[in-house]
Amino acid sequence: MEAQKVDMFIMSNSKFFESHQINGIRERLIAIDDSKWAMISTIQLKDPTTSLIVSILAGSLGIDRFMLGDTGLGIGKLLTCGGLGIWTIVDWFSIQKATREKNMQKIQQFLY
Amino acid sequence: MVLSRNKLYSILIMACVAGYIWVCYNMVNKQSVLEPVEVCFIKYFTNIPCPSCGSTRAILSLTKGNFNDAFSINPIGFLVAFIMLFSPLWILLDVVAKKNTLFAFYQNLETYLRRPKIAIPLLIIIMINWIWNINKGL
Repeated sequence: MEAQKVDMFIMSNSKFFESHQINGIRERLIAIDDSKWAMISTIQLKDPTTSLIVSILAGSLGIDRFMLGDTGLGIGKLLTCGGLGIWTIVDWFSIQKATREKNMQKIQQFLY
Repeated sequence: MVLSRNKLYSILIMACVAGYIWVCYNMVNKQSVLEPVEVCFIKYFTNIPCPSCGSTRAILSLTKGNFNDAFSINPIGFLVAFIMLFSPLWILLDVVAKKNTLFAFYQNLETYLRRPKIAIPLLIIIMINWIWNINKGL
């Protein structure tokens, strides 16, 4: 694809990915075919900030994990009062990274 | 988080160990059964019990064989006790036989539970249980 298009995509979506992944995504996007642009530009990515807010407000019910699609872990959190409160606190700090990894998984379906 | 087999098993084992330590701690400290140590954020900040509050007390009455008491405290206790009893055994079997049956089961269960036909009734059950918890004043 054109570098200009790719750079635009990277600029507007960089907050959805880990910083060390962005370079790889950029190179991969330049290499792939132009026909995939329509799909890639319309992917629904999850916002790490939203996950953080949900995690702080409703983390002990596991709703942050349900939102990311980790249903099993969400049930685990729900059944144990958020892992006796410990898992809730751990997730306040790790949920943003988890969201970015989920986004990476999602975009990888189109990149390869 | 990209969940792999070993990651899931270590999370489950850690959760079970923490659960057993927690139950043992509550069994040794008899007073804390009457005045439980509050680890639940929701209950601590709002005084409203969360959906799974009371499952420790339910498991403690299960260990004494009071099934009716356990059910009236919190039915979720049965589910938690079941998972705590059987998941370490299943993991042990899997690790010894070098298979991943539990991981496959977990992934199938996840896709199964995501279907609205299953998820909505379960959600309603949890909500009813929660309302019951609040009424009981756990």
